[in-house]
Amino acid sequence: MSSRLESTFHECVVQGIIETQHVEALEILLQGLCGVHRERLRIHELCLKSSPNLGNGTSEFWLVSDLEQPEPTWTVRHIGGAMRGAGADQISVLVRSVAESRVSKNALRLFYALGYRLDHELLRVGFSFHFQRGAQITVTVSSVNKMLKLHAIDEAVPVTPGIQLVEVTAPASGENYTEVVAAITSFCEHLAPLLHLSKPGVLTGVVPTAAAAAASLMSDGGGTIL
Amino acid sequence: MEGGGGAPQDQSQPAQQQPPQKVVEKLNSEVQRQLNLESVKTRAVSLSKAISRILEEFDVIARSNAVPKWQDVLGQFSMVNLELFKIVEDTKKMSKAFVVHPKNVNAENATILPVMLSSKLLPEMEIDDNSKREQLLHGMQNLPITSQLDKLKARIDMIGAACESAEKVIADTRKAYGLDTRQRLTTLPTLDKAQAAKIQEQENLLRAAVNHGEGLRLPADQRLITSALPMHLIDVLAVSDGFQTYVDASAMYSKNTPPMSSGNIGSNQGTPLQTSGAQLSGRSVPSPSVPTATSSLDNTTSPLSYANSPRSATNMTNAPSPQQQIQQQQLQLQQQQPRQKMMQTPQQQQLLAQQQFRQSSMQGLGQNQLPQLHDLQSQAQQKFQSLQGQHQMQFSQPLASQQFQGRQLPTGHIQHGIGQSQLNQGNQLTRHIGQFSAPANSALFTAAQSASNASMISNMPATMASQSIHSRMQFALTGGNAQRTHASQILSDQMFSMGTANASNLMSMQQQPPPLPPQQGGSQGAFGNLTQNTQNLQPNMAAALQNSSQHHPNFQQRQQNQQ
Repeated sequence: MSSRLESTFHECVVQGIIETQHVEALEILLQGLCGVHRERLRIHELCLKSSPNLGNGTSEFWLVSDLEQPEPTWTVRHIGGAMRGAGADQISVLVRSVAESRVSKNALRLFYALGYRLDHELLRVGFSFHFQRGAQITVTVSSVNKMLKLHAIDEAVPVTPGIQLVEVTAPASGENYTEVVAAITSFCEHLAPLLHLSKPGVLTGVVPTAAAAAASLMSDGGGTIL
Repeated sequence: MEGGGGAPQDQSQPAQQQPPQKVVEKLNSEVQRQLNLESVKTRAVSLSKAISRILEEFDVIARSNAVPKWQDVLGQFSMVNLELFKIVEDTKKMSKAFVVHPKNVNAENATILPVMLSSKLLPEMEIDDNSKREQLLHGMQNLPITSQLDKLKARIDMIGAACESAEKVIADTRKAYGLDTRQRLTTLPTLDKAQAAKIQEQENLLRAAVNHGEGLRLPADQRLITSALPMHLIDVLAVSDGFQTYVDASAMYSKNTPPMSSGNIGSNQGTPLQTSGAQLSGRSVPSPSVPTATSSLDNTTSPLSYANSPRSATNMTNAPSPQQQIQQQQLQLQQQQPRQKMMQTPQQQQLLAQQQFRQSSMQGLGQNQLPQLHDLQSQAQQKFQSLQGQHQMQFSQPLASQQFQGRQLPTGHIQHGIGQSQLNQGNQLTRHIGQFSAPANSALFTAAQSASNASMISNMPATMASQSIHSRMQFALTGGNAQRTHASQILSDQMFSMGTANASNLMSMQQQPPPLPPQQGGSQGAFGNLTQNTQNLQPNMAAALQNSSQHHPNFQQRQQNQQ
C-alpha cells in the first residue's frame, strides 16, 4: 500500500506461485534477502464494477481494506491500463498505471450509490516485506481466499489450498520505470531457486528445484533437515 | 672425510698414513655425489648422540632405582628408530659399492657380530608372521608353488574388482543425491506429468481469481448477507441494508410488521412500518421518520403501492411534483398499511423512503436508491406474480406520469394501482418497483425467467423486475389480459434500462428511446418491449390507461393529470 494518502503512479508488478509447503522456506529466503522483518497481511478486497449502461463503458474500482491495522483502513484503488508497445513486451514486468487514495469507510456506500455493484471480493492472508533495493519493493506472499457467502470473511476458504500467490511490486514514475523494472528483475533472480515470477497472466508453473531449495533453506546447517 | 660409509673411511685412513706411496683413495666423484656422504655423516653422528643419551638416561634410572617413565623412553626410542631407518635407507644406496663393515672379526665386534648378522625375527614377530602366512595359504600349502601363486593372484583380482565396484556405486550415489557440489546437477528432478498438470490447473485458477475475479463471483442467490458482517463492514453496510439482500416475499405478505428481510441488516427496517402507520393523516406527510437521511429512503417506497386507498386517489389527482409524489407515495403507503394486509415489507418502505429522498429531478416516485432496488425488485417480483390484472393500470399511471429518470416513476403510481389489486394479495411487487438494484434485478430476473411460460404473462413484470422492479411490479399482472400486456409493455419500457439494475439504468433509459410498440395482446409481446424507453411508455401508457381506466377511477384521473 502506498504510504501516502493518495498517489498516482506506475506500478511495476510480477506474480508467481509457490506451493504452500514451501512458503516457510520462501519466508526465510526473503528475510535473508530483504533484511527486514515480515509484516502480517490481511486484506479484504472488493471489486466494484459499474454497469455498462452508464454510458462510458464499465469501470472498475477496488476497495481495499487493511484488516491488520487496529482500525481497518480503506483505500480505493484504480488500476489503469498497462504499458504497451515493443518495449513493454520485452520486459518481463508489467507496468501499469495505478491511482490510490485513502478513503473513509463510507466509500463503499458511496460507490453503491453511484451505481457500482460488487463484482467479487477476496481476502488475502499472508505476509509481506517492504524494503529498498534499487527501488521501494514490496513482496507479498499470500493465500487468496474466497468467501462463499457475501462478506463472510471468517468463513473464507482458499481458492487454491495448495498454492499461494507471490507478488512483487514497486512504484515507479514515468521516467524511472526502467530502473525500477531492472531492480525488480534482479531481485527476482534471487528467488529463482524457489519460484519463477512473471507478468500477471503469464503462467509460470512451479520450479523443479523448489523442493531441494526449500529443504536446504529449512535445514539448520546440516543438522536436522526438516 | 671422503669415501663413503665406514669402509671407505678405513681405507682412506691407511691411505693417508702412507701418503707418499699410496694415492688417496677417493671414491668416484659421481658416487660421492650420489651418496651424499655429508648428510649421511651428519645424521649418523646425531643418531649416535641420541643413542648415547638414551643410554645415559637408563644409567641414571638404574642407579636411582626409579621407575622409568616408559612413555618418555618409548618416545625417545621411536625417534631413534626413525632416524636409524632413514640412515639405513641412505646407506643402502652405497652399500652396493662397498663391502660390509666390519670386515674382520676381531675382539671388539666378536660378541656383537652374530646379533648383527642374525636375520631371525623377534619371537612375537615370528609368531605373527607364521599365523598370517597360515591364513593366506590355507589349504594351499600342499600344492605346488605355481598353483599357490595363481590362487593368490586370483584372490587379489577379486578383491580389486570388489573395490572398484564399490567406488563406482559411491560415486553414482553421490551424484544422484546432489552431493557432488563441484558440478551443477545435470538432471533436475522433474515433476511427473500428472502433478505438473494439476499444479498448472491450480495456477490457472489462482491467477484468474486474482487478476480477473473468476470463480469469486457469487451467484445471485448467494448474494445474501446472511452471516454477521465482519467488523469493518458493520457500519459501512448498516444503512444500505438490502443492497444485496433479497426479500422473502412470503414474509412480506403476511405480516404487518414484517420481519426484516433476510439480510437486511439495518435497523431501519422496523421503523418505516411503524412510522408510516402514524402518518396516515396527511398527504404530504413527510416520509416516515427515518433515523438517517439515507434510511429515510427506506421508508417511503412501499406504502405507495396501494393505489386503492382514497389517499392514493387524492394523490393521483394532484399534479405530481416530485416531492409530492413521493410524499404521496409514502402517504399512501402508510395509509395502506394499516388497512391491509398489504404488508409493507421493510424494503418497500425503504423504497418509498428512498424515493422521497432521492428526489432531485425525479419526477414521480422513482427515486429509489439503487440498493433498495434490489430488495424491491425481489419483492416486487414475487408480488408481481401474485398480482392480478389490476396492476396494469397502476403501472400505466405512474408510468405515464413520470419521466423516468429513474425507474421510480411508476413506483408511486404503481403502488396505487397495485394496491387496489393487491389488497387481497398482500403487498407485493408493485411497491418495490422503485428498488432497482443490480443484484436484485438479476435475481429477480432469473427468478422470473424460471417461471413457467404459463405464468409468464403474469410474471412478466416479475421477469422484468430484474431490470426494474417498478415497472415489473406494475406490469406483473397475472393473467393475460390486454391491459396487462399494455402494462407489461409499459413496464417493459420502463424496464429497459433496468437490465443492470443500476441507477445508471435509469440514465440509460432516458438516453435510449426506442419506440415501444403498443401491444395490447399477447403478453409475450410485452416481453420484447422490455428494453424500451420510458418515453415510449407514455403513449403506451395512454393506451394502457385507457384500457384499464375502467377499473380505476383514480386511474383515469391520473391519466388526466399525468397527461
